Amino acid sequence: MQAFVEWCADLAMSQAYRDSLYLFALTQCLHLVAVTTFIGAIVIVDLRLLGLGPVRQSRAGIARSAERVLLWAGLVVLVTGIPQFTTNAFSYYRSPVFILKMWLLAAALIFTATLRRWVALADEGRLPPWAPKAVAAVSLALWMSVTIGGRMITYY
Amino acid sequence: MPSIIPALQWLEGLAWTTAIRESSWGHPIIETAHVATTVVFAGLVIIMDLRLVGLAFTDAPVADIQRRLFPWQMAGLVPSMATGLLLCCVDPLRYYGNVMFRVKLALLAVAGINALAFHWTTYRTAGRWDEDPNGTATARRAGAVSLLLWFSVIVSGRLIAYNWFN
Repeated sequence: MQAFVEWCADLAMSQAYRDSLYLFALTQCLHLVAVTTFIGAIVIVDLRLLGLGPVRQSRAGIARSAERVLLWAGLVVLVTGIPQFTTNAFSYYRSPVFILKMWLLAAALIFTATLRRWVALADEGRLPPWAPKAVAAVSLALWMSVTIGGRMITYY
Repeated sequence: MPSIIPALQWLEGLAWTTAIRESSWGHPIIETAHVATTVVFAGLVIIMDLRLVGLAFTDAPVADIQRRLFPWQMAGLVPSMATGLLLCCVDPLRYYGNVMFRVKLALLAVAGINALAFHWTTYRTAGRWDEDPNGTATARRAGAVSLLLWFSVIVSGRLIAYNWFN
């Protein structure tokens, strides 16, 4: 792991970021705009699973439409997240909040791509009424924790 | 013209603003709450705008999406504004002197006026948008303007942390 962190910090991209006054900040801005869009697409589906979102479209319809937004916004989040990590790889590697955020992110991604996807796309009569609500509650808790963790990296 | 600075100095000197400013937990907690609630508010506004532009959720009627999302946009907006105001109260002179903060306030005002104008005028015809192609053009324009404005608010908000122009 130590070797990987060193390799990240030594990349030409990382050096370019450290040399530039604006590059890192502009990357953070794009990251935040994409994160906000991503969370919007998470929340609209979770609201629908809770029975609170737009109800004239089926759960599956909202979920499928949200997936496109999630993929595009997620791609931008990833592409803008990587240089932030490599530029300051050692300080992120030592940050307990960063490590926690990455574990939460992994959990949230796996949950969203498996159980949440399956429940959101399932025929609405097939599941007991509490199941989509429980899935939405877990999803909101996971993704808000990831967001909060991301913001707290600055401090710890 | 009387200066606002004495009022800000008074605010900064209050016991409770001083206590929060000098604490180690004050800024992290308030700032994080501000970001977390803003992300919910702006995220759902962006979803609505993407629908207006025609990039997402095009199977659902605009009016249905807007009616059901509006309470949750407000549920994000109210704590977002409260925590934002609190941040200003705790460190008023720092923000007063920050160029990006002023840019953000100006953009926020424009975005707010645009949203009100949308709700009071443009949106009245929303019931017809799903059939009428002209309505769709209006919706696209409104969505694009709103997206641009809220993206700018987010970016200028993030840049307050950098004192580039001070």
